[in-house]
Amino acid sequence: MTNNYYEFFCPVKVIAGKAALEHIPYELTGLAAKRPMIVTDKGVRAAGLLDPVIAACEESGLEIVAIYDDVPPDSSTTVVRDIAKVYRKEKCDSIIAVGGGSAIDTGKAVNILVSEGGDDIAKYSGAGILKHPLKPFFVVPTTAGTGSEVTSVAIITDEKKGVKLPFTSSFLLPNAAIIDPRMTLTLPPHITAATAMDAMTHATEAFTCMAKNPLSDAYATAAVKKVSQSLLQVMDNPKDEHGRLELAQASTMAGIAFSNSMVGLVHSLGHATGAICHLPHGLCMSLYLPYVLEFNLESIREPLGELLLYLEGPEVFSATPASRRAEASISSIRKLRDALYKRCQLPRTLKETGKVLESQLEAIAEMALDDGSIMFNPREVSLDDALSVLRRAWA
Amino acid sequence: MLVKRLQPMVSHARRSYVGLMFQVMGRALQAISEVDETTRNETRALPVGFLFEMQVMPNGPKLIVEHTGDGLLHYHRDGAPRPVDLSIQFKHMTHAFLVLSFQEKTSVAFANDRMLVDGDVSLAVRMTRVLNRLESFILPKLVAERAVKEYPANLHLPEKLLSAARIYLKVATNFVETVRA
Repeated sequence: MTNNYYEFFCPVKVIAGKAALEHIPYELTGLAAKRPMIVTDKGVRAAGLLDPVIAACEESGLEIVAIYDDVPPDSSTTVVRDIAKVYRKEKCDSIIAVGGGSAIDTGKAVNILVSEGGDDIAKYSGAGILKHPLKPFFVVPTTAGTGSEVTSVAIITDEKKGVKLPFTSSFLLPNAAIIDPRMTLTLPPHITAATAMDAMTHATEAFTCMAKNPLSDAYATAAVKKVSQSLLQVMDNPKDEHGRLELAQASTMAGIAFSNSMVGLVHSLGHATGAICHLPHGLCMSLYLPYVLEFNLESIREPLGELLLYLEGPEVFSATPASRRAEASISSIRKLRDALYKRCQLPRTLKETGKVLESQLEAIAEMALDDGSIMFNPREVSLDDALSVLRRAWA
Repeated sequence: MLVKRLQPMVSHARRSYVGLMFQVMGRALQAISEVDETTRNETRALPVGFLFEMQVMPNGPKLIVEHTGDGLLHYHRDGAPRPVDLSIQFKHMTHAFLVLSFQEKTSVAFANDRMLVDGDVSLAVRMTRVLNRLESFILPKLVAERAVKEYPANLHLPEKLLSAARIYLKVATNFVETVRA
């Protein structure tokens, strides 16, 4: 009898492709929502990305009742409370988050407050606190990497206590994720590269970590294939709508994969580096991915070898001896990183970032050991192991 | 028919086994914190008075230990004196039995969603490392390899035997004291 067991859950309706934004009014009406509020940030508004969303709603006679466009990169409990006040004052009945990870997390947290009541979001922090469905909530991602539109987690900073509050509940999942290529068309090259490598890392770790399962595998491999095939094309031709859509879908698929299989040491190191050195998450993912795969190699040789098919295609896969496929997968990821460095100087080592000191490596290693994602890394990681990976990633 | 009749007995036996294992583990956690400096280095990071619980949901057997300072843990055999700070909860008795009978590694049980963490996840990761170290010490290598993700390569037989003997002695002493009390 096998002890294998897994859980898989993703009730988010994915609305993807050309003119996807124009489906928002119909979908909101289906949930009896008539007074939506948009939660976004100034960058999204300045880039004109709200215009097609607003136009799509207005053309169907659906008025956007309120717009909050001041979500900071690290959203806080105060911001969440302020937005909830606006929501209540304007008698809104639904939320549309338009933006990257911060705007989406903020939308999730605001939805908790306006659905459950009160002004103190901190009291809903933790896992499984929410017991009821929340207000209708839609997400329109404007980056292709975080996968936040399909994850049941939000992180909000408690400014007074100086800690990050995690919120975990399946009720945080949006009713719909709207993936429209227009929303990522103007992403600058280095953000396109970093966020796509974030998706690549989500998918690769999802496919090689301990909680991998047949359903998450299907999403992970599809995501790896899409990033491999489209990223460099988009870097060379940023206005390539098809390529942009492929990357956006890859991000969503990778998000579905990792939220059902978890991630490992790349994320542990990335979270610690982000906290200590303030490096963007996607950059950290791209930076650490090959070094962690090398560290885990003997525990993940089989699945990593399988990924070669999706990274390089059937010809390279069949021409590579089975015993060398795992190493070839790592080489393929390194090759992609080199190509990105050539195009937008996306750092491949900690030294290349210019923002990390060698003296900080020990602190990063120590913090990484206490990160929740390390539990799902296929290999046990000691402080010396983490330090040796960091030293390899240094230069 | 026979299976149906035996089912309550099997359930009772599992519950008793899990309860006994929690009692042993609770006392052994206290003991390893007294004999092993590496464990103390891990537990020193816990706030003093920190209460850690492992429990089977909803009201099954549990173990509770408290960090009393300088990395030392104290086993609370009569339950928690106040609300616990961190709880690792098995969703079902069967899941606890799988882990505590070494049919499923703790890390695999986490990956399989058999357990929930209520509290600070980073401290749960730390306590999991302590539990792994305990299992590596007190279980025969062949059994320990089934319980932990990776058996520590630097744990050699003399150190293991000596530490295990000291831990078991302290556990036995604690049991005797409990009976006398």
